[in-house]
Amino acid sequence: MFPAPIHTKGAWTVMSYRVAVIIALGLWLIPLMAIALTSVRSLEDINKGNLWGWPSKFLLIENYSAVFTTTPMATFLLNSILITVPTVIGSIALAAMAGFALAKYKFRGNVLLFAMFIAGNFIPFQILMIPVRDLTISLGMYDTIWGLIAFHVAFQSGFCTLFMRNFIKALPDALIEAARMEGVSEINIFFRIILPLVRPALAALSVLIFTFVWNDYFWALVLAQTDAARPVTAGLQSLKGMWVSSWQLISAGSIVAALLPVSIFFLMQRHFIAGLTLGATKE
Amino acid sequence: MADVTLARLTKRFGTIDVLHGIDLSIASREFVVFVGPSGCGKSTLLRMIAGLEEISSGDLLIDGTRANDLQPVERGTSMVFQSYALYPHMTVAENMSFGLRMAKTPKADVERRVAEAARILQLEPLLDRRPRQLSGGQRQRVAIGRCIVRDPKVFLFDEPLSNLDTSLRVQMRIEIARLHRELNATMIYVTHDQVEAMTLADKIVVLRAGRIEQVGAPLELYHAPANRFVASFIGSPAMNFLPVTVENLSEAGVSVLLPEGQSVRVPRLPRAGLAQGSALTLGVRPEHLSLTAAEGARLTLQVQAVERLGSQTFLYGTLPDGTWTTVEAPGDTALSVGSRVTAWVDPSHLHLFDAAEQALPTL
Repeated sequence: MFPAPIHTKGAWTVMSYRVAVIIALGLWLIPLMAIALTSVRSLEDINKGNLWGWPSKFLLIENYSAVFTTTPMATFLLNSILITVPTVIGSIALAAMAGFALAKYKFRGNVLLFAMFIAGNFIPFQILMIPVRDLTISLGMYDTIWGLIAFHVAFQSGFCTLFMRNFIKALPDALIEAARMEGVSEINIFFRIILPLVRPALAALSVLIFTFVWNDYFWALVLAQTDAARPVTAGLQSLKGMWVSSWQLISAGSIVAALLPVSIFFLMQRHFIAGLTLGATKE
Repeated sequence: MADVTLARLTKRFGTIDVLHGIDLSIASREFVVFVGPSGCGKSTLLRMIAGLEEISSGDLLIDGTRANDLQPVERGTSMVFQSYALYPHMTVAENMSFGLRMAKTPKADVERRVAEAARILQLEPLLDRRPRQLSGGQRQRVAIGRCIVRDPKVFLFDEPLSNLDTSLRVQMRIEIARLHRELNATMIYVTHDQVEAMTLADKIVVLRAGRIEQVGAPLELYHAPANRFVASFIGSPAMNFLPVTVENLSEAGVSVLLPEGQSVRVPRLPRAGLAQGSALTLGVRPEHLSLTAAEGARLTLQVQAVERLGSQTFLYGTLPDGTWTTVEAPGDTALSVGSRVTAWVDPSHLHLFDAAEQALPTL
């Protein structure tokens, strides 16, 4: 069937395929391997220039505990959680409601409004840097967790609404009409029918937005100045000392920072299977 | 149980009129079928009665009350959708009780009604299943059950059987007819399938392009179609139409000349303005053309296609002037493509249509 299995091709094709796979995999994994190895290296190794080779000794416990004892990594991680979780909840809640309205209600300006949500996604966020910084300062939100949350919610809800609107649009209108025929209120239609049916979309979107916001470096740099509001991405940057950079600690911190989004991805993975509406209606 | 009256009901989408003043009265406990080709407005009309589409003008009376501005649930209507529209994340029992639970109906009452509906529809063993675990026919029964629990004044069906395969469709047709007898409710049913219309309806409403073409009992439409559209829409295969000219008019009917020059007298009342030489259209159903020699006029056709259904055979052929004509022949006929066939016409089963496509009334 399609695509045709590679082993049905000539020997030369099979060989070059295998080599290409290994090269691609290597290119992709080498940076990750380097970070992982560096996170257990000693400082002497790094000073001697042993950046890619085998570490002379493994300092797993030492380095990882040093990250938490000698740097404000714990605060950064907590800040990241405090910023990311409300952002995910806020932007997805707004997007689900806006998406429902845009997908299922006919009103003047519907398409225009939707087009603006899409268009917003095409604005390069760098050009917003100065205005957003000025705005947060005048609102008294500069260098606060709330400032970052507010900005992320505003910025992510555009894409979330686009995503949710298209997902809800695909639900059959008859489901909503059947409920309306039974006198079910619009709010109950939203909570009892639409939301349960878009659960796979909500799960996928949560993971996506969680990763976006967790990995955000730009706005963390622009909107946070002190360790009190700094999330882990900007925090890692601040670990670079003025004279000495403890690369082994930065690497260990990076691994710690990556653990949460990666594990959330694996936890939520099964929710991605969007088979829930199958069998509901016959198209 | 309620009567439904539509008075000059119209529907406009923007600048497009889709329904042009529909007048219709539906008696209590009647089974009415709206039938017509796609785009004729039959579904829109049903949705207006349901309360899913706004009424542009005119009056809708349900049980004597003007229902134009009532919410669907206040109208006492309940609808079965073509796609069943079952809530996929709920079990059969939850699907049936959802509306009642949302309306805060007492729990015991909900359970009693669901049990009753499940009994009527033989859904008891399926109550804990989800829609995706059900067959098409079972889903359709759940959708009907969701209506029954509401005990509506009027049941509305929007092409409920068109997603089912043929054998299941026959079974569900019989089931719906039984439900109508058992529930004794007013039912309005939309379909494009004339067999469903003929078998289920007390009264058929034929719609075309937003207008009612004819209202009547199934056999009334079959035997006395009001116009050429109804004549061709009801009956399968469709009625044959031949161009004819008036030979003479008398009290015994209208004599017309067939394309081949033979004369046949059709017992129809001539209309004012009709004179010798006027062009008319003669209508004859395939089942009223006989291959056994008889008195009267006959048609000769060159068979171009043969459809053998076992119990009968349909011969599709052309007359000498090229008009396509269908003849019903016995199931075991030896005739095949290329045969020349003579078909005799029974004058009592002929229809005449004037230039405006209206049928001449029977004598």
